[in-house]
Amino acid sequence: MRGILLLTQAEINRLRRNRRYLIFTVGMPVVLYLIFSKAGKTVYGINFAAYYMVAMSTFGAFAGALNGNAIRISEERKVGWIRQLRLTPLPASAYVIAKILTSMATTIPSIAVVMLLGRFEGGVHLPLWQWFVIAVVIWLGSTIFAALAVAVGYRYPPDQAQPITLTLYLVFSILGGIWFPFTGLMGNISKGTPTFEAINIATDVIAGKSVPAYLAIGLVAWLIIFAALATLSVRSMAETV
Amino acid sequence: MSHTGTGSVVSFDNVSKQYGSLKAVDGLSLELRSGETVALLGPNGAGKSTSLDMLLALRKPTGGTIAMFGEDPYHAVKTGRVGAMLQSGGLMPEVTVRELVALVAGLHPRPIPVDKTLRAAGVESVAGQRVDRLSGGQTQRVRFALAIAGECDLIVLDEPTTAMDVETRQRFWATMKEEVAQGRTLLFATHYLEEADQAADRILVINRGRLLADGTPEEIKKRAGAKRMAFRLPGVPESFLLGLPNVVSVETRHDRVHIQTTDSDATLYAVLDAGYRPREIEVGSLGLEQAFLAITAEDDRANGSEPAPAH
Repeated sequence: MRGILLLTQAEINRLRRNRRYLIFTVGMPVVLYLIFSKAGKTVYGINFAAYYMVAMSTFGAFAGALNGNAIRISEERKVGWIRQLRLTPLPASAYVIAKILTSMATTIPSIAVVMLLGRFEGGVHLPLWQWFVIAVVIWLGSTIFAALAVAVGYRYPPDQAQPITLTLYLVFSILGGIWFPFTGLMGNISKGTPTFEAINIATDVIAGKSVPAYLAIGLVAWLIIFAALATLSVRSMAETV
Repeated sequence: MSHTGTGSVVSFDNVSKQYGSLKAVDGLSLELRSGETVALLGPNGAGKSTSLDMLLALRKPTGGTIAMFGEDPYHAVKTGRVGAMLQSGGLMPEVTVRELVALVAGLHPRPIPVDKTLRAAGVESVAGQRVDRLSGGQTQRVRFALAIAGECDLIVLDEPTTAMDVETRQRFWATMKEEVAQGRTLLFATHYLEEADQAADRILVINRGRLLADGTPEEIKKRAGAKRMAFRLPGVPESFLLGLPNVVSVETRHDRVHIQTTDSDATLYAVLDAGYRPREIEVGSLGLEQAFLAITAEDDRANGSEPAPAH
């Protein structure tokens, strides 16, 4: 356990030094929120400023968990760092656990900054427990994409991991209704994505509605699927890292 | 922490590794005892790296068993009993050399002070630099620093001095001698034969995944069974030289004759018996390199294929 924390600490130090990831996880959601939050419509039963706050913090968190991790893991596998770590007394699973913990640490600022912006720029007023619930749902939801990042990063070399990650990123952000909510057939497809499910649990909480079970089941199902894919990737690559 | 005596440090018992139809390691059995410095020699593709990978629990053998300190290799690695440096091992980017060495030392149950490790590996002057901005030789030394960042009983090094200049290489071996003097066992793969000759107490020659020879550098040279002889003898016919007993090959440069023979005494007596009086006679053993080439070439011929390139 101490080893995992040491490695996580080292990973976070690296990120503090290389802040490019902040462009995606904090910069983009903030800029988009400042431009679009004043649309004034009602979406999913709540005002646009509140909906867009949820959408942008989800976007920052999932983009951070997916983009950064997948390509980094792939590169670290290529240079042999994962192999080098396996020669240390650190247990074999520690690398992946540390990556997910690091990812969870880095999604906190993106969620916090966008929510502060929602409160003070968008004028979103919520009871304290609602702030807490929506932040935790989005935060835990981002681990789904951290698991997906492990699956991609372990399986593919960097030159393939890059376009695959970009594709997944676009599919889950567009289909999930982060840029604009869908209706009709696309709306139904959208409901199956983890991004939609995380956003809608949060918007239902804000609207004071009861959260439909399928949203929570969907999120857990995605987590199980991607965690299984990640485990398969790690196992099948065990002799080649 | 060192374990001196005759305890078994590494033991391979009929170990095989198959990749599809290719047998990378084929029934390899060997034993390393505590305190030994052992060189693993073999041409490219002989199975050196695969053997080291299996020893370090990075790959699983398809047959046979490997033990390190009498236990499962994975367990030995995870309890910090072995420090290893592989050619394929890489470094965590975006951190400084000191941070990386401190991290790896922190993961070890018996860490060595970071400054001491940096000094021993000769990387104290680049301690503040980022690891992804080092030269090849510096990177290699940082990898070595990671291998010795904790107190261990066995050090495993795969081609440790590749990318090092002559001075760094000498310094590296001086450090290694200190490590070994503390009772550690050292196993290293190399293609610098002179390095194996100078540093190792014992040499294991492997080819096609099998152990061909196991002995001191002297024994390995002797096993190749050949001596070289040279003398000055103007005007001697080449046909006479080729007709001498036990001769393997003859080469004449100006009036100097170079002969490779399996029995230098018999060959020399025959020259004298024929009435010749050669001058400046030199008799010597083959170098380790020629011995190594002779041993692997013989094995390749026995297997009916082209000898592999020497490395």
